[in-house]
Amino acid sequence: MLFFSRSKILMILGAVFIGLLLAIPNALPEKAREAMPGPFQRTINLGLDLQGGAHMLLEVDLSSILDQALINERTAINDAFRRAEDRPRTEFVRADNGSILARMRTKEDADKAMPLLENLSQPVDPTQLNSPKTTRVTRESDKNIRVTITDQNIEFIRKQTIEKSIGVLGRRIDPNGNLELILAPEGDKRILLQVPGAQNIDEIKARINKSANLSFHLVNEKDSGNLEVMRLVIPPPHRGVAPGDKYFPFAESNGRDGGLIVVERTRITGDCLKDSSGGPHPTGPGAVVNFSFNVGCATEFGRMTARNINKRFAVILDGEIITAPNIRSAITGGSGYIEGGFTLESARDLSLLLNAGALPAKLTIVEERTVDPSLGADSIRAGKVASGIGLLGVAIFMWLSYGLRFGTIANLALSTNIILIAAALSLFGSTLTLPGIAGIILTIGMAVDANVLIFERIREETYNGKTPINAIETGYKRSMAPILDANITTLIAAITLYFVGSGPVRGFAVTLAIGIVMSVFTAVIFARLLTATWLRGKRPKTLPI
Amino acid sequence: MKDISLVRILPQEPRVPFINLRMIAAAFSVLAIIASIFLFTTKGLNYGIDFTGGTVIEINTNEDPDDEAIRNALIDMGFNGATVQGIQPPVGALDQEGNPITHRLMRIGLQLADETGEEGQGAQQAALKRATDGLEERIGEFYIRNTEVVGSQVSGELRRKGIMSVALALLMVLGYIWFRFEWQFGLGAVFALAHDVILTIGVFSLTQIEFNLTIIAAILTIVGYSLNDTVIVYDRIRENLRKFKKKPLPEVLNIAINDTLSRTILTSLTTLLALVALYVLGGSALKGFSFAMIWGVFVGTYSSIFVASPLLLALKLKRGANTGGERAEV
Repeated sequence: MLFFSRSKILMILGAVFIGLLLAIPNALPEKAREAMPGPFQRTINLGLDLQGGAHMLLEVDLSSILDQALINERTAINDAFRRAEDRPRTEFVRADNGSILARMRTKEDADKAMPLLENLSQPVDPTQLNSPKTTRVTRESDKNIRVTITDQNIEFIRKQTIEKSIGVLGRRIDPNGNLELILAPEGDKRILLQVPGAQNIDEIKARINKSANLSFHLVNEKDSGNLEVMRLVIPPPHRGVAPGDKYFPFAESNGRDGGLIVVERTRITGDCLKDSSGGPHPTGPGAVVNFSFNVGCATEFGRMTARNINKRFAVILDGEIITAPNIRSAITGGSGYIEGGFTLESARDLSLLLNAGALPAKLTIVEERTVDPSLGADSIRAGKVASGIGLLGVAIFMWLSYGLRFGTIANLALSTNIILIAAALSLFGSTLTLPGIAGIILTIGMAVDANVLIFERIREETYNGKTPINAIETGYKRSMAPILDANITTLIAAITLYFVGSGPVRGFAVTLAIGIVMSVFTAVIFARLLTATWLRGKRPKTLPI
Repeated sequence: MKDISLVRILPQEPRVPFINLRMIAAAFSVLAIIASIFLFTTKGLNYGIDFTGGTVIEINTNEDPDDEAIRNALIDMGFNGATVQGIQPPVGALDQEGNPITHRLMRIGLQLADETGEEGQGAQQAALKRATDGLEERIGEFYIRNTEVVGSQVSGELRRKGIMSVALALLMVLGYIWFRFEWQFGLGAVFALAHDVILTIGVFSLTQIEFNLTIIAAILTIVGYSLNDTVIVYDRIRENLRKFKKKPLPEVLNIAINDTLSRTILTSLTTLLALVALYVLGGSALKGFSFAMIWGVFVGTYSSIFVASPLLLALKLKRGANTGGERAEV
């Protein structure tokens, strides 16, 4: 136990030395750090609760996406029937219990419909061989056909929705890419968003809450102008609009009450936008959002406006009419501006959202933890003071208990332990949180345990009449099993904590686990090396323990 | 070199008859467990928003805040279940401009009665905005240092996860000790740990200190710490079973507990030193955590001596292959 080969000594000292090098950058000012070689520039990554910032969990409203998928499927089925040369006659096609139920007039109609419906079922992911199909068509009876969206397709839609939402959020919150955002899927339907050092939380929330679904619709002037109709339609749930039409209220910024009935179908949506920007109103006060369409939509928009001169079209954003201008002439250039009582700032905000794209589904903030940087700095300060005092107290205590010689060995091991924890945290880039600091302070108290165990054993063996070398040898040997057992069990608790815990608790688990591993190394290997070196030099007759 | 060791005041071979006290200890533990369960079912825990859902903000006003004015302002706005609590800033706290904070900070909790379903989740954010805007109007400017909003769905998941993590940790530990020792040791250790967890919950119910996610972390750490203690004693028991083959079991257990006693006391003291520093200086965020841990050190030390070891007797430990039955060490 007390013999160390030269290579082993080199390895142990080398590990401690590298640890020291890795830990040092944390104590250096930024300038000096930059002069160090690559791996030694790393410092401990502070969690949001220490550096300040916003942590949010956003839930994606997947049910609306799936509802939309069903509606699209129904439209596709109706279109397929209508376009068929030999049209199958239907009684109805409707959403029924999470799938589409088509009841045909006769058995022959159903026979004709089956191949049409099966044709609609496409591979979920066309880029993959043997990709599962989007829908499953089952003949329930002579006349009933059920079309179900397959689980694989739902899964595909879910993944795509989350992926697209993450992309849009990134472009919205950090359009210039300098915020070091963390955006990641969490579980099945949630997105984790972390913004370090964020000061403008309200602005970020506003950007999350807007879907930015933009579309241009023709106004149904006949119904919208008819007071009788409007009186029926305006109170929610807006019943009584003609099929194919929909009622939308004016946005608050529009400064008008009520709303308009518009034609629901449109090809001009947010996807048409090539670019948009906020700018001052070209003729009047206030500001406008300038936009330009891509080529396809520009043609479509030109056609739509040419056919409907002297009618209005409504610009609808997230279910509200922001403006409904009169079409004076055909707009063929594919660009224009939207006015809607904007200020320069709100126009710029809207164009930022439009450029980032629409969110595919509504997002709700289901968890938020925002910490001001000043509070984080307070926590760090308090943590430093508490660990300093804890360290000092434990060190004095160890000297009092084991005398100068063994006390020093234990305390050297303890300080090496702290340095190695800092080194490991810097190297792995793991995040230090406030509970993590608590974990380190706890480790300070518990780290000496292994040394206490060994020293107590040495004392006992000395008391039983063993010679110093023998006592130390036996002390280390006999203490190995309990030290390993005790630390492995604590490690098990820490690992469980890591996998089941979340957020700051995980940070605690990481520091605790690192602390355990390092304390075993410093107490069992490093301190043993120190003891052995001392023994060899001094060859004492009695042990000062 | 002069021997100035403090702990040598303790006798080198203490022979405290711990095992003879086992009936008293058992009575005490059973009573404490019953009391804890009773408190838990009647008084319950003061769950934080991690587990109930809700909103908490911590604000820094320009001068020492007027609790009553803030409370009235919140009631005025219709937040009826709101809690208002002044807290001492941590040592050396600075505000957003770098000036020392000399007055109390205010922690405001909002509990929304009706917040199930999708609408409710968004409603929390809306209510938060309404509350901060309204407060600014009524009590003047303040600075928000911390905002925590936890939706009811998330809090339900966190609660489930919390319970699961403690249960899972206990189970894995049982497996490990079973593997390393005899099954009686595994069961004894897990009983002792369950004892610690129950008593900790009891203390949190008694004191009504906020029970949140970090407390779950603390409980798991207590589990780790107490286990550490228990394993050290068990290891010594195993060793002594091989050494003293003729001695009756209770005496072997007692010798093992006494052998490790000075280590148990020393480690508890150093850990307590660090934890008390954390409790006094760590600020409000870590008060609950360090309190739980300080309690855990006491209860964990107690349980490894008075619960885990006597349980081996109750579980009728035999001297098997792993406990000195076959091979003996000198």
